Amino acid sequence: MTENRIDRFIESAKRVGAEVLRKENLQEAAAYIAGKAQGTTLVPETPLARRHGLRALLSEAGVNVFTKGFREAGHLPGAGVTFSNFAMADTGTVVLESTDENIRLATTLPEIHFVLVDPATILRDNLAAAEPMNAFHQDAAPKFIAYITGPSRTADIERVLTIGCHGPRELHILLVDNISSDLLEN
Amino acid sequence: MAPEVTYKKSVEEAIGNPKLSKALHLFGDAYLIARENAFRGLDFQEMRTELAAIKDEVRIRRKELLAEFIKNAEAAGSKVFLAKDTKEANEYVINLAKQKKAKLIAKSKSMVSEEAHLNKALEAHGIRAAETDLGEWIVQLAGQRPSHMVMPAIHMFKEEVAELFSKEAGKHLAPEIKALVDHARERLRKEYFNADIGLTGANFLVANTGGIGLVTNEGNARLCATLPKVHVVFAGIHKLVRNIEDAIKITRLLPRNATGQLLTSYVTWIRGGVPVDGVQKEQHIVLIDGGREALFESKACQDALRCIQCGACANVCPVYQTVGGHVFGSIYISAIGIILTAFYEGLDKAKEITRACIGCRSCVAVCPAKIDLEEIILHLRNEVSKEYGMGAIKNVAFKAIMKNRGLFHNLVRAASKLQLPVTQKNRSESGPRIIRHLPMHFMAKDYTEWRDLPAIAEKPFRDQFGTIVQNVVKPLYRVGFFVGCGADFVYPEVGVSLIKVLNALNVEVVFPKTQNCCGIPALYSGDTETGEYLAKQSVQAFTDADVDYILSICPTCTMAVKRDFVERLADHPQWSAKAMALSNKTMDASAFLENVLGASAKLGSAGPQKTVTYHDSCHLKRGSNVWKEPRALLACSGHRVEEMKNSDRCCGFGGTYSFLSHPQISRQITKDKVETILATGVKTVATDCPGCMIMLKGAVGKTDATIRCAHTIELLAESLEMKK
Repeated sequence: MTENRIDRFIESAKRVGAEVLRKENLQEAAAYIAGKAQGTTLVPETPLARRHGLRALLSEAGVNVFTKGFREAGHLPGAGVTFSNFAMADTGTVVLESTDENIRLATTLPEIHFVLVDPATILRDNLAAAEPMNAFHQDAAPKFIAYITGPSRTADIERVLTIGCHGPRELHILLVDNISSDLLEN
Repeated sequence: MAPEVTYKKSVEEAIGNPKLSKALHLFGDAYLIARENAFRGLDFQEMRTELAAIKDEVRIRRKELLAEFIKNAEAAGSKVFLAKDTKEANEYVINLAKQKKAKLIAKSKSMVSEEAHLNKALEAHGIRAAETDLGEWIVQLAGQRPSHMVMPAIHMFKEEVAELFSKEAGKHLAPEIKALVDHARERLRKEYFNADIGLTGANFLVANTGGIGLVTNEGNARLCATLPKVHVVFAGIHKLVRNIEDAIKITRLLPRNATGQLLTSYVTWIRGGVPVDGVQKEQHIVLIDGGREALFESKACQDALRCIQCGACANVCPVYQTVGGHVFGSIYISAIGIILTAFYEGLDKAKEITRACIGCRSCVAVCPAKIDLEEIILHLRNEVSKEYGMGAIKNVAFKAIMKNRGLFHNLVRAASKLQLPVTQKNRSESGPRIIRHLPMHFMAKDYTEWRDLPAIAEKPFRDQFGTIVQNVVKPLYRVGFFVGCGADFVYPEVGVSLIKVLNALNVEVVFPKTQNCCGIPALYSGDTETGEYLAKQSVQAFTDADVDYILSICPTCTMAVKRDFVERLADHPQWSAKAMALSNKTMDASAFLENVLGASAKLGSAGPQKTVTYHDSCHLKRGSNVWKEPRALLACSGHRVEEMKNSDRCCGFGGTYSFLSHPQISRQITKDKVETILATGVKTVATDCPGCMIMLKGAVGKTDATIRCAHTIELLAESLEMKK
């Protein structure tokens, strides 16, 4: 059942132009990122990133992790690396609770976005997302939640599909077990 | 120039630009395939029925939901302003900008800001609005307005875009799409960073969270909502939904129906003032009425506010594909644009475009909110006629003549004699007469240069019926034949064929002589008074006839008797009860033959001998959901159907549309149909509508006189003759 869901997610995400790979652990994922990321890389210090020591893992793998305020990283930084809260199999979507501004900057500005997804958080479909979405809105706090489905795209010139308009040109989804099965955490 | 003249000129100019029309046709064809793939495995009918119910519930509870939205948004730190019109909305943004000493606003796509002419209003106060959606930026640089809701610059070509970008950048840029997109990416990045305010629209206003939802592909809305210190949301009040579940359901329909995507690249949910550069962002939500409350209150038109702005009604519209959104629309385009223009900009602004709809119902079939766009447009056309008149020709034709059945029918009989000098025998001596050239040279361009007009039959069906002998003993059913003007006066042979076929299946045909025109031509021209009068005449005739079923061989007449009579007579309970009783037993002849009599099984298969191609008439397929039946009847009568491309695309007839209001547009739509017919290489076109027959016989005949166009019932009757 879960494997079916993972397969469906991979198929859906690939269909919209995302790269999807399964990695044994975060070290392997970091090595993959180091091989692809070029230039300044934005890595938000979220609770999950701290718990897994993500910045250190990436630095050790050779990624150029940017340590200053993200607004100083220039208009077009090289890459962003984030975790996700959950994903949806029917559309190949990753969901990031992005109220922390650094998550937003790391996922909107860079050329490439790498997102680390725990397969246990892949939901069947968009309808199943109503539950965690409602949970996010339990209190009255400000919220910014992003659904991301493939790289940025446009068809505004002659209806020709063109990848990489204002958001990341590439989306790499790395499936790694045991990151966190809590849908409300990233 | 008078608006009518400007409008007519814009139609002619658009038709003179075949490049645009060709691009829109290619887009329309690709769209249908993408959409079909996107809905695979899902039940579109069920989904849209659910969406319609959600939106109706929101309409009823809108005051309470709006209050709930405002309360929740304010609790999360948003400031909410209710603007009664777009002027108030603009003023709010201008004041805010002044207060913040803002010089630059980075904007993502917002249709209501187009409606408000916000950019112009800001400019007048020295505030620059930078459009960041690629299409909107192109249109802004060109000093134009969007010609499509989802793809604003769909009317432009890469060479024009390269020229605009080069001029703005002060350097030469090649007309290569990827390079142009890259240029926009780099160039517009500055705007988000430099902007004092970011302005976005909203696809949803979620009442139970106080948040908004944005459905986008490019990623510019996320940047507009993230980088600047202040976020302004500019949204119409009809974007309200009850909760996140409602919004999720809309996201399942919107991208699939708009662009054939399962989901857009980004769906962004924002509530309140999120952190920005170490502080809390200021978020202002401007909620705009601007005519929406009046539309909510209009019983006849309120369904239009179910719209989720997917743009599908344009994508499939043959008129849009012919002239584009700058002609067929105002701020909002195509079918929904007609309605919104009437309410947001005023009926006078919608005067011309209410008549530009050809009535093919292709928009109704794809609408994800189940809006009967055609019905609402007809209502508005009637309002326009009441307000501004419908033109002298129609006034005399409908009011003075058609209402008087005897006069109408005698005039048509007289016309069949008067036309003798201009008719010529078609192909063989026994062939029907057609009008190849009209002597009125000034009209010839619009009327007979591109198609032959059918001549009026020497003897209408109503005068032939009494002479037809029906050998039916102990009939299975007695059916009443609603002949319709097309079959009565132009193609009486189709009626004669129907009697042959029905008699062969042991059914007796009754013809109530006092029946009159179904009234659709008058109604489509906005004359409901005549429409009501004609409905009463026919309702009485068929009530008195006391038959088991009522059949027509004209799908438009079928729709009139089945659906419209009841509505048209709604104000007169005794009449509407009679109409309802008739409605329940009315159907198209081919549907009756196949679904009630099981004709194809009874007649057996003759084995394919002849090849035909089939044109689905708009009102048969989308009005009565009948399209399998004629194909089954053709198959059982020895015909192999070689499908043409887009068989259910309108033929361009549209009744008075092709004669009086928009012959130029009809001509183009018909040209497409003729091309698809010729492409099959088949020599016989079958269809189930006298209107389509007028158009196809005339236009196909002008191109290739060896191609025959016939009613399915005629082909069926011929095959029965052969069997004898």
